[in-house]
Amino acid sequence: MSFDKAQQKIALTLFVVGLVSATLLALVDKWTAGPIAEAQRQALHQSLLQVLPEHANDPLQDMFLFPMSKQESLKVFPAKDKKGDVVAYAWQQVAPDGYSGTIKVLMGVRVSGEVAAIRVVFHKETPGLGDGIVKNTAWLNSFIDKTLSNAKWLVKKDGGDFDQFTGATITPRAVVKAVHQGLIFYKNNQVDMLKRVYAEALNKDKEGDKP
Amino acid sequence: MPSNNDSLNKQEIFQDGFWFNNAIFAQLLGMCPLLGVTTTAENGFWMGLATLAVLLCSNLIVSLVRGFIPDEVRIPAYIVIIASLVTVVELAMNAWMHDMYLILGLFIPLIVVNCAILGRAEAFASKNNVVDSVVDALGMGLGFTFALLLLGGVRELLGQGELFGFDVFGASYPDVLLFILPPGAFIALGFILAGVNLVNMKLQAKKDAVIIVEKQAGSESV
Repeated sequence: MSFDKAQQKIALTLFVVGLVSATLLALVDKWTAGPIAEAQRQALHQSLLQVLPEHANDPLQDMFLFPMSKQESLKVFPAKDKKGDVVAYAWQQVAPDGYSGTIKVLMGVRVSGEVAAIRVVFHKETPGLGDGIVKNTAWLNSFIDKTLSNAKWLVKKDGGDFDQFTGATITPRAVVKAVHQGLIFYKNNQVDMLKRVYAEALNKDKEGDKP
Repeated sequence: MPSNNDSLNKQEIFQDGFWFNNAIFAQLLGMCPLLGVTTTAENGFWMGLATLAVLLCSNLIVSLVRGFIPDEVRIPAYIVIIASLVTVVELAMNAWMHDMYLILGLFIPLIVVNCAILGRAEAFASKNNVVDSVVDALGMGLGFTFALLLLGGVRELLGQGELFGFDVFGASYPDVLLFILPPGAFIALGFILAGVNLVNMKLQAKKDAVIIVEKQAGSESV
């Protein structure tokens, strides 16, 4: 089979366009990979500062993986005081039942089991309605110091302690449920979490001893 | 469409892109980002600028390579060019405008299928020189940005009583939620289009009046 000149030109054109585009994308990807990672780190760092109580360590650096199942593990960011004792943990709790998709809540929990603070780090809720979970500081603050026993973990419409917003109940309901589940998770796993932290600290010490 | 090498009047190209042939107001193209992201003026503005950046680069490149690409494969070639540019914009926003990237999210990749961009590559850049194509992209892109900004502003103002996040109507303003929701986008757009048509009607009437006066002047002198 042979191709005439016009067909060769067509093939060559598409080849060159594809090649140039792919090269450009590879270069830009390489060039932006660092800044993107840094931007994501910064965003996480900012949120961690907001949900964790005062601490002396770098929670990002001390992050450890807490096994949830055989495949999955949860990234936990511990906050430690000057003596190196854990005062709180932060992790991302996922609410799959938002009004328009998943909501990711970063929650800080004190070792004693109270909510230190929460921030919504990802959502696709309706602007002006559901996005109160990001903007409404009073509502976010209503989570502070709540424990499993001192609050009813439902929105007021459902007979609980947390406000819903005008025109949006589903969104806050999903967040309240997620934070509640986070607290239950903490209650069931707090001993293992502490073990993890000590294990990590021991590992680090060992590494530090090496020349 | 004028032929290759006559340089067109730059001001006319710009005006045409920005107003008379505006992607939104006149052609009703690019409805998806228009209705999707214009819940606030700021979102609309940045979405418009992202689109402008892609349009500028795609018109520039398509105009540069217009002599080399065979007619049969021009559409796939243009789409690959546009898709690459959109990915570059997306990566750049993710790196340097992380907050806005999180808000605009899905709508950035969707710039690829904004028919206004392929439309300009096909209808203008593939037939005109580089400078004219850049002017056309600036007119079209800024016109698109203006339309998104306007609709975003109207919806934010009516829906939340704010503009660019600043409280305008005070705390007592009862937020009209409808304007934040998708139907509000259509309703607001309808009123804006009516306003644009009114302005165009007046402009046309003025033009006609000038022509009539000139004709009269002409007939009197004869």
